[in-house]
Amino acid sequence: MSNDRGKIKRHGLSVILTHWLVALSTFVLIFSGFGQMPLYGRYMVDRIPGLSWASDFSVTLLIHYWAAAVLIGAVVFHLVYHGIRRDFDILPRRGDLRDSVRIIMATFGFGEEPENDKYLAEQRLAYVFIAFSLLLVIMTGILKVLKNLPSINYSEGFALWITFLHNVGTVLVIIGIAVHLGAFIFKANWPLLPGIFTGSIDREYAKERHGIWYRRICDDKDP
Amino acid sequence: MSDFSRREFLKRSVASGVAGGLVLTGMNRRAEASAVTEVGTVIDLTLCDGCASLPLPACVSECRDKNKARFPEPIEDIGNYWPQKKKEDWSKKRGLTDRLTPYNWTFVQKVQVEHDGRDHTLYLQRRCMHCDNPPCADLCPFSVLHKMPEGPVIIDHDLCFGGAKCRAVCPWGIPARQAGVGLYLKIVPTLAGGGVMYKCDLCYDRVKAGKIPACVEACPRNAIAFGKKEEMRALARERVKKIGGYLYGEHENGGTSTFYVSPVPFEKIHAALLKEKANQAKPGLPGFPGMSVGVENMTESANGIAWTMAIAPVAGIAAAVGAAYKTMKGGGGDVE
Ligand code: HEM
Ligand code: HEM
Ligand code: SF4
Ligand code: SF4
Repeated sequence: MSNDRGKIKRHGLSVILTHWLVALSTFVLIFSGFGQMPLYGRYMVDRIPGLSWASDFSVTLLIHYWAAAVLIGAVVFHLVYHGIRRDFDILPRRGDLRDSVRIIMATFGFGEEPENDKYLAEQRLAYVFIAFSLLLVIMTGILKVLKNLPSINYSEGFALWITFLHNVGTVLVIIGIAVHLGAFIFKANWPLLPGIFTGSIDREYAKERHGIWYRRICDDKDP
Repeated sequence: MSDFSRREFLKRSVASGVAGGLVLTGMNRRAEASAVTEVGTVIDLTLCDGCASLPLPACVSECRDKNKARFPEPIEDIGNYWPQKKKEDWSKKRGLTDRLTPYNWTFVQKVQVEHDGRDHTLYLQRRCMHCDNPPCADLCPFSVLHKMPEGPVIIDHDLCFGGAKCRAVCPWGIPARQAGVGLYLKIVPTLAGGGVMYKCDLCYDRVKAGKIPACVEACPRNAIAFGKKEEMRALARERVKKIGGYLYGEHENGGTSTFYVSPVPFEKIHAALLKEKANQAKPGLPGFPGMSVGVENMTESANGIAWTMAIAPVAGIAAAVGAAYKTMKGGGGDVE
């Protein structure tokens, strides 16, 4: 445990690594995914110095594949790792919708925030949303990869659906990220930021905002 | 968690691994097997004379006639492809018959090549090759191009957005674009979309009805053969052997269903075509394909790394089991 007095450990190395592998691969997938559509040539993104490759489909396709492999690896790691360890703090619970509304209202000065566990109710909901969107692009993406293999040819309807769902998934992922990053516009959430880089956050903040979690780990570890 | 047992650990590992793996392997759905036999064509360059006695080769005029009802009728005032100051409009040049356009889905190229001390004048009927693993269809971002079980590769003109990616990934740049028609007009035409793509569909309607394509039927010299693809391949090979000639289309772009038979090497034909293109008034214009020998399929390099998607979950599971074991044994508990 990090016993630096003012700090408390929130995330382990595995979690930090997974988060950043997912984030990095997802950003690359979004950029190279848009590259799969004939956008960068038309909108002259390929004229930006250093980006001349952006409109070359053979390049962006390879990038999309490599990033997809990284994302898949990181997602499977995440599921299996937390599955074994049974850390389910981030899964939604009954009442999360109502609590999220309360938290958001409180941010704007209306009413009191409920007492929080390791994650806020809205973080748990955001997690499912992002997880669902990523699983959607992954599964449809794998089907698209199979389709590109020489021996595989889908029916017209199936191909249309898969592509449509992959594109819908893309929109959902982008919304999810926007909301996730949007949360950090609010000062109340800033103290969480160091956590995803260093693993530790401010002890006082944890005590105040994540009281349930704070008491639980302190009972556990620092009797 | 220090009393956490090895057995419990194994149990959980298996359960989580299976859950994670299932998500992925469950998706390994096979493509539906088609019971339909594929069709193909042989284009014999020793037979085609470019219909020297006619104003237009018969295959070209027949194709234009057969498909005229499907040619694009664009709006009057076609906008540019913002932010570019151009658009692709062939509607004022419907009469062009010396290249592929949205109004001309096949044409005949004439080349003069020298081989083994002899001069050859060759006429090449050009159109979509109806590839085995067509990158145009695989890579369409909206999946509106499709390879039918019978083999023809067709474009859904109602759903095509006209981004022309299919042309960019086709080794011969076959699909031709017309602006001012199609779905994009109903969305935000100034900002996105470019029209609709057109190309030979191997007369899919006729093929489905048990008939042969219009150009095949029209050819007065029987220079184009049509039939089951494997029979066509055999026919082409046999013919090549007989004349000591060359075959094109069997391996190009990962295999196609169009087999060209030539008395001269295709490298020479390709060089002659490139030279002719370079001498055209606007050498950059699409619709005048070369015949690059052994040209690679765009999906090949990506397919070459598709295995990474199978390895990634395995690596993910292995790393997770290792990391979980380490942290739990060390009593990492809640916060690792
Ligand atoms: C593709 C991009 C990203 C994805 C998919 C993603 C996803 C997630 C998810 C699912 C969580 C779990 C908890 C939660 O929802 O708050 C999380 C936590 C977190 N993310 Fe991201 N993230 C991305 C990018 C970023 C970026 C660019 C930052 C910026 C600095 C960031 C900062 C954080 C922080 C600080 C946490 C920890 C919150 C806490 O400790 O409770 N993320 N991320
Ligand atoms: C955040 C994740 C992802 C985003 C935002 C994303 C986005 C996109 C977009 C916008 C396209 C172009 C439109 C289309 O063809 O549908 C695309 C194509 C594609 N994506 Fe993704 N994608 C993601 C993840 C994946 C994954 C995980 C895989 C594979 C496992 C994958 C495989 C593909 C393939 C094969 C194509 C089509 C390339 C082609 O065949 O034209 N994608 N993606
Ligand atoms: S020749 Fe070009 S347009 Fe025709 S199927 Fe092959 S890749 Fe597609
Ligand atoms: S097969 Fe049909 S559409 Fe294709 S070139 Fe021949 S006549 Fe034209």
